[in-house]
Amino acid sequence: MASVVKPLDPADAAARPHRYFRRQYVWQWPIRIYHWVNAVCVTVLFSTGLYIASPILAPAGEPVQHFVMARFRQIHFVFAFLFLINFLWRIYWFWMGNNYARSGFPFFWRPQWWRDLFRQAFGYMRFHAGHIHLGHNALGGLAYTIFVIALGWAQIFTGLALYSESSPSGFWGGVVGWVIPLLGGSFQVRMWHHLFAWGFVFFAILHIYIILYDGLQYRNGLLTSMASGEKFFKDGDLEHDTWIS
Amino acid sequence: MNSRSRRPSTYEVLREHGFDRRSFLKYCTVTAAAMGLDASMVPKVVEAMETKPRIPVIWLHGLECTCCSESFIRSSHPIAQDVVLNMISLDYDDTLQAAAGFQVEEIRKGLIQQARDGKGEYILAVEGNAPTADGGIYCTVGGDTFLNILLETAEHAKAVVAWGSCASNGCVQAARPNPTGAKPVHELIHGKPVINVPGCPPIAEVMTGVLTYILTFDRLPELDRQGRPKMYYGQRIHDKCYRRAFFDAGQFVEAWDDDGAREGWCLYKMGCRGPSTYNSCSTMKWNNGVSFPIGSGHGCIGCSENNFWDNGPFYERLSMVPLPGVESTPDQIGKTAAVVAGVGVAAHFTAFLARKAMAKGKEGESGSGEKE
Repeated sequence: MASVVKPLDPADAAARPHRYFRRQYVWQWPIRIYHWVNAVCVTVLFSTGLYIASPILAPAGEPVQHFVMARFRQIHFVFAFLFLINFLWRIYWFWMGNNYARSGFPFFWRPQWWRDLFRQAFGYMRFHAGHIHLGHNALGGLAYTIFVIALGWAQIFTGLALYSESSPSGFWGGVVGWVIPLLGGSFQVRMWHHLFAWGFVFFAILHIYIILYDGLQYRNGLLTSMASGEKFFKDGDLEHDTWIS
Repeated sequence: MNSRSRRPSTYEVLREHGFDRRSFLKYCTVTAAAMGLDASMVPKVVEAMETKPRIPVIWLHGLECTCCSESFIRSSHPIAQDVVLNMISLDYDDTLQAAAGFQVEEIRKGLIQQARDGKGEYILAVEGNAPTADGGIYCTVGGDTFLNILLETAEHAKAVVAWGSCASNGCVQAARPNPTGAKPVHELIHGKPVINVPGCPPIAEVMTGVLTYILTFDRLPELDRQGRPKMYYGQRIHDKCYRRAFFDAGQFVEAWDDDGAREGWCLYKMGCRGPSTYNSCSTMKWNNGVSFPIGSGHGCIGCSENNFWDNGPFYERLSMVPLPGVESTPDQIGKTAAVVAGVGVAAHFTAFLARKAMAKGKEGESGSGEKE
């Protein structure tokens, strides 16, 4: 099928509205800012974290001439706090934003949520183009809950616990110092922090692919929606998202 | 009160041994310094040593290797001889005592009886831990299980000092799979102040310092979350390590015989546990301040940390993932997960394209383009 753009015929649009895309403002600016700050933070944190765990650069000469490891750690800490502030900002906006800001929540007590979860999972597996979601679909929401929120908390707690180690009686030691004995000691906290970090890689691969695939399959402007905030839908799509509100 | 007045103070004991007052004051100053106290605290130490009666100590040995005792008797500030003979009244110690058999058991029982009757008090020092499996039969002393002896002696103790990693966190006998069910002291004794002095063994001066503190001030030193005295376990070895500059610079030993090792670079990549170990090794050092593991070119193995035997190879930076059936490092698991995700994505997209090509072929035949 050659892609020929047909001029809009108002009569046809009125008679068969489901054939035509409409536009809706979905992602408010705090959500979009959160997303991109988070993407940058996770990228920087993962790469600096890999260096901290396994420092491969070995500058020659006297130690006074270099500050490589310390600089990597400093960057890691700065972006970690940015990640934390950004994370808390997103949680604030979960309550203050529009309904779409809450659509990723796992509403596991609602049968419609489970129905949407399975429909979406099977839809992806069978390459089925179902209806378009304006917010998150249940599967996407679940993935974000696990790989962004739960994993984010895990990294925040283990990371701050490790950060507090140089001063266990200090502020952060008082706030999150309990994590260290809970996970069986400082060395185990390191191991979990490192293992959890890979969760972001696993998630990022699936996330980027699904965004591209979903956008291609459903023609909903998913990729650009994180820049413009706007998604496209057809008439009738909105009736399906009853589980959200 | 009667028994209290009967027991002489440290000062009295020292005078009996022929020390003059000047030597006593010197001794108090050194002791205060060993506890990390300010010079202004010396008068308090002097006062305590002059007035406080020496508290008897019962020193029990459970599942252990006696390395704590070996360390303890090599203390140089204050020297163990002073601690044992002058400051404390070490009334019971399986290893160090000259008496044997029923006689010493009578001493222990007598002290417990006195404390029970409110006529005296004692401090319980425990070296090693107690196996709990099969009724505790894997460690017996004088015909009774060590578990029973420990619980019996702890019941009326004023405080319990857990010497070494065995007593503090289990050490090797509590490492997986822990066939004898060995448990550290703080998991067995409840409702008593337990002070953990981990290390395999703990530094001699730390051991004498802790005892001195308790005896001098008649209270436990400030403890951290894991029950360790903050004055000796408040900082990581890493943060006071003389090789820290190499760490910050990014200069790491890669092999035991490389140039970095000769230059004395940081042992982080060789699995040094300094960054995750709280102890005084890098400040107080060992054997009267001669050296400590990192100073001798070997990484710290984290012997004063919980479960240090289970934390994977000593020469690896990260431990294995402690999940049943998973014998992998975090990196192996992470890379595998990334590959699985990548392969899954590639398979899905290939199938999607194939499906689309087939549908296109069919569309071409039927001519209908409308899809739901």
